[in-house]
Formats: sequence, C-alpha cells, structure tokens
Amino acid sequence: MNRGSCLVWVFGDYGDYFQNRVTLQLIAKGKSLAAELDTRLGVVVLGEDIGQYVMEYAAHGADVIYAADHHALKDYDVELFTAVVASWVGIYRPEIFLAGATVFGREFFPRLAKRLQTGLSADCVALEIDKESGAFVQTTPAFGGDLLADVITPQHRPQMATVHPGTFRELSHDPFAIAELIYPPVPELPPRKIEVIRRRQERAHKASLKDAKVVIVGGKGMGSKANFEKLFQLAEILDGEVGATRPAVDAGWIGEERLLGQTGKSVRPRLLITIGTSGALQYTSGIQGSETVIAVNRDPSAPIFSVADLGIVGDADRIVSLLIEELNRRL
Amino acid sequence: MHIAICIKQVPDIAAVRIDRERMTVVREGVQNIINPSDYQALSLAMALKSKIGGTVTVITMGPPQSEEALREALAAGADRGILLTDHAFAGADTLATSHVLSKAISRLDPAPSIIFCGNNTIDSDTGHVGPQVAEELGIAQVCGILDVQAESEQTLLAKRMGERYIETIRVGCPVLFTVRKEGGTAILPGLGSLQRAFSAGSIISWDKEELGLSDDETGLAGSATRVWRLRATPLKIKGDIITGQAQELVQAILRKLESMSLVDEDQRHE
Ligand SMILES: Cc1cc2nc3c(=O)[nH]c(=O)nc-3n(C[C@H](O)[C@H](O)[C@H](O)COP(=O)(O)OP(=O)(O)OC[C@H]3O[C@@H](n4cnc5c(N)ncnc54)[C@H](O)[C@@H]3O)c2cc1C
Ligand SMILES: Nc1ncnc2c1ncn2[C@@H]1O[C@H](COP(=O)(O)O)[C@@H](O)[C@H]1O
Repeated sequence: MNRGSCLVWVFGDYGDYFQNRVTLQLIAKGKSLAAELDTRLGVVVLGEDIGQYVMEYAAHGADVIYAADHHALKDYDVELFTAVVASWVGIYRPEIFLAGATVFGREFFPRLAKRLQTGLSADCVALEIDKESGAFVQTTPAFGGDLLADVITPQHRPQMATVHPGTFRELSHDPFAIAELIYPPVPELPPRKIEVIRRRQERAHKASLKDAKVVIVGGKGMGSKANFEKLFQLAEILDGEVGATRPAVDAGWIGEERLLGQTGKSVRPRLLITIGTSGALQYTSGIQGSETVIAVNRDPSAPIFSVADLGIVGDADRIVSLLIEELNRRL
Repeated sequence: MHIAICIKQVPDIAAVRIDRERMTVVREGVQNIINPSDYQALSLAMALKSKIGGTVTVITMGPPQSEEALREALAAGADRGILLTDHAFAGADTLATSHVLSKAISRLDPAPSIIFCGNNTIDSDTGHVGPQVAEELGIAQVCGILDVQAESEQTLLAKRMGERYIETIRVGCPVLFTVRKEGGTAILPGLGSLQRAFSAGSIISWDKEELGLSDDETGLAGSATRVWRLRATPLKIKGDIITGQAQELVQAILRKLESMSLVDEDQRHE
C-alpha cells in the first residue's frame, strides 16, 4: 500500500442515526476501492465537538480523518461546508469522493462538484473499478429505475458520486483501530445566509409499526381513502400495522408517520403485504429487511414484483375486500 | 420582484416502456410534459406573484420543440419565456446544463430575486441542476421546499422537508429554491392567458452565440461525466407471480399465510 497517499474520500454525514449509517457503509466500500487503487481511505468531518464521530469512523475503517472542529460549523450549511471542503480538495487532490444520497448529501455534493468543476453521479446503486480500463464506474438508476446507467468521469477530478443508502454493508466496529487525524486549515468562511427558524420533528415513530410482525402497505393504487381504510381492518385481523408510500401520504389517506422508505421509516416484519405500490427504490429501501413480501399490483411488469416472494396480479381493492371476507369467515 | 423558473420538458416516464430484449426505450405515443416538480415550482411562483406582484420568466434549455413547455407555462400565467436551444447544447450533463442556464439567467434584466427549479427531473433525476445554478450565480440555495411565503420585501420563509424534520427557513434574496412536487399548491385559474401564450414576442430564443458560449463549455464537450453504457436492471424475481380470478388469487395469499402459521388452516374443505 502506498502509505503516503489518501485518495479515496468519504464525506462524514452524521446528521442523524440514519445519515451516519450511510457514512459507515461508504467507509466500507471506499476502503475496498482504496485497496484496489493502492491508496488509503479518508473521511471528512466538519462540526463542533465531533470527537465521537472521529472515533466511530476510525473504528469502522477510516485510515485518515480530515476534521474541522469549529463553532461556526456546528450546524450544517451548504455554502460553509462547500467553502471548507473545496479548499481541502484543492490541498489533497483526492481521486474519488463519495457521500450518502441523503437530503443533505444531495444538495451539498452538487454545489461542491460545481465549485470544483467536476462530474457527479446521483444516487448510485453500485460502484466499481473496471478491471480492463481502470475506470471508476458509477452505476445509477435511469428511466425511473428500469435501466441502469454506468457513468464514468474520464478526465475531471475528483470523481464524485452520491450513493443510495443501504447499498453497501458497513464493517464491524473495531475499537482498537487507529486512524491518522489531520486538522487541515479552515479557510475564511462565507456568511450564513440561511436561518432555520423552526424544526418540527415528523411525528414520533410508532413503536408498533417498527416492531410489527405483519405490515400492510398501501400505495397510490389503493385508489381512494375509503379503499385505503380497509387496510386497517386487514391489519387488525392479522395483528399487524399499516404503512404507506409517499403518494398515499400526500393524498391524505394516512399520516406522515406511517411513511415507509428513504424519507420515511424502515421496517423488518416477518410478513409485509404491499398493495398498489409500484416498487420505486425510494420505497423498497424501507422494506428490504422484510422476511416475506407479498405484492399485489394490477400491472404484471411492476418492479415491486422483483422484491416479492409472492406476486399477485390483480385489482387492489378487490383483493383486499375478498381477503378480509375470507379471513373473517375463518375466524 | 422578478422571479425566474427553470423548467424542462420531459417524456411522461410513467408511459415509457423499456424493451428489455432490444434494450431500447419505447417512446411511441408517449407525451411530453413539463417536469412535475418544475410545474409545482411554477405554481409556487404564481402564488407568490399573486400576493406580491412582479414578473415571472420561464427558462428552458432543450430542442426547439421544448417551446411547447414554455407556451404551457405562459398559459398558466408566466409573463415571458426564454428558449435556450442550440445543437451544441445536446448531450449535456448537469455541469454543462447548469452553465448554460446560469449564463442565461445572468443576462436577465433586472436580475431575478428568486429563482425556482424543480427538485429533480423524472428523466435524468439527479437533482443537481438547481444547486449548481445557485453555485455558479453565487447565491443561496434552499432545496426540497414544499411552500414559500414572502415575509418582507427582501426575506422569504420557506418550508422544507429535511431528513427527519420539517424545517421553516428564513432566507434573503437573491435565492434559488428547488421545489418538491408533493407541495400541493394549485395554479390559480385565470392567471394565465392563452393569448399571451400564443402571441409572438412572448418567447425569445437564445443560442450559443447569443450567450457568448464557446463549444467546449456546453453539451457533451462541456460535460465531465459520460454514460458509458446502459443496461437493464437485473430482474430479481424472487418468487411466483400469479394471475387469475380474484378468488384464486386470494386463496394463494391465504395458503402463504397458512404456511407462515399466520392464520389457521381452513376447516371448511374437508
Ligand atoms: C428523493 C425522493 C425520496 C422519496 N422517498 C420516498 C419514501 O421514503 N417513500 C416512498 O414511498 N416514496 C418515496 N419517494 C417517492 C417514490 O419515488 C415513488 O414515487 C413512490 O414510492 C410511489 O408510490 P406508489 O408505489 O404508491 O405509487 P405509484 O408509483 O403511482 O404506483 C402505483 C401502483 O399501483 C398500481 N395500481 C394502480 N391501480 C391499481 C389497482 N386498482 N389495483 C392494483 N394495483 C394498482 C399501479 O400499477 C402502480 O404500480 C421518494 C422520491 C424521491 C424523489
Ligand atoms: N434542460 C433544462 N432546462 C431548464 N431547466 C432544467 C433543465 N434541466 C434541469 N433543469 C432544472 O433543474 C431541475 C433539476 O433537474 P435534474 O438535475 O435533471 O434532476 C429541474 O427540475 C429543472 O428545474
């Protein structure tokens, strides 16, 4: 290994538990990319009192940590973070730079890539070094996920990508691991233009949904609020809980706290029945821990069937109504 | 107050099919629409305009036919449209797209106080263009907003969805917002005018020369990324997909539930 160089970087997004997991996943992937390129893996951490994150990233495999512990960086701010990180990229010139495709990653990385005048691929679901050409191949879903596009950045550096959460598996925690800790200079910071004046937690997690053994999910294909409400009956009979996709929440059929997926909750029930949902990645990322999945959709080519153990091609409301009838008859 | 909106004409992805055998995208009979989150941006702009007045300029970069999208926006109430079209713009990634859009916006007089973009397009779906335009113009960005209100002459309050929070944000002008399509504001009827939409002069067209751009700054040549290849998403069919009469389908579900001991076996059929 080339001891001196550290050319694969990961942005340490520790905003909350979920975001931090993505960082850990990227450290694991970044480390294997770095090994292939004969270099080391660095993590960039900005904030105030970041000691716990520095320790955690070291324990999860970071070789080098580039940190700024600065009061002005306490709260995330795209312009401040861009100023600092762009100046560090200028100093150390990494080849590859990854961030989680979190809400913050997806607004910070485009701005950073633009300042650095380099390429960025969005929400990648695979990353690899092509054996033949040596190119860093960034795979991103195209056409609503029906196709995959392999993107490369031939000349510009660093090669930047945001990565879909849950794509890679984090390394186990090694409390004895050590990393080199560097405090690069913090450049003059631009003024903060954005003020967060209120922050309302989306309603607290319903413990019962997260821990439920059976989850019934309704999507846009449920068609109406009246149809959607039958899912509660079904859930009750099966001693389960109800979840929903984004369009069902937006239609007002159910509260935001029942949203599953990338911007909602993740569930890991024994059985999940998903009805009238197309199977968008942003949704399926929240249900992938389910043991058994039954999907109901009237479109036989719906992507949801690719994650289902049993796929039922049929009308959502008709199936739900009949199923309730049958189950009631058996009780 | 001058408000600019970047809109893109996109194929209605829901209607696009992929021919997995030939690995081609079947666009036959697929309509072109204004990208949904851009349309939502347009409705937020119209709502702002109806409260505080001002003019709304819609901008699009694309082939000549994207003029349709501008006309649709004019019919919905925008005051003028700018079509950025040139062969040299084709094949642009977000770096090159944001460059052309920024050049066009910086030519607007007066400079817009608010710029809206959609959160993401349904065809490219990167969500990069908004933040990259903000960066090139050197102005603040607030991404993923659901709603925005004027607080005073020069400050705005925006509601946006963070990772786990709904945040209210105060920001001064100039600012670029990217708008989520889920916001739910509807365009007020009567704001638009079909006459304006189809009158000459309400749409102007700028090409590479007009914008003072050289060949290597735009399109494929000005892009940092390349699509190396497209391939079909591996179909990870895990289980059975069954079709049939609703009754049979429900029986299949019940058998699955029985096999997992979630329901008792049916006693009736002995
Ligand atoms: C950044 C980002 C984050 C996102 N985060 C999330 C998230 O956390 N959670 C989430 O859910 N979404 C999220 N989304 C939205 C996501 O991309 C999809 O749009 C959403 O999951 C689709 O929900 P759906 O399957 O209910 O609706 P649709 O995609 O509209 O699918 C409806 C399905 O129902 C079927 N159908 C219609 N009528 C019937 C009928 N009568 N009987 C049977 N089937 C029928 C149709 O064939 C179709 O497949 C996010 C999007 C973005 C861009
Ligand atoms: N060709 C274009 N012309 C005008 N606006 C665009 C164009 N491409 C992208 N945008 C804007 O940038 C937003 C994000 O696009 P994208 O980065 O492709 O997801 C869109 O919602 C539009 O507001």
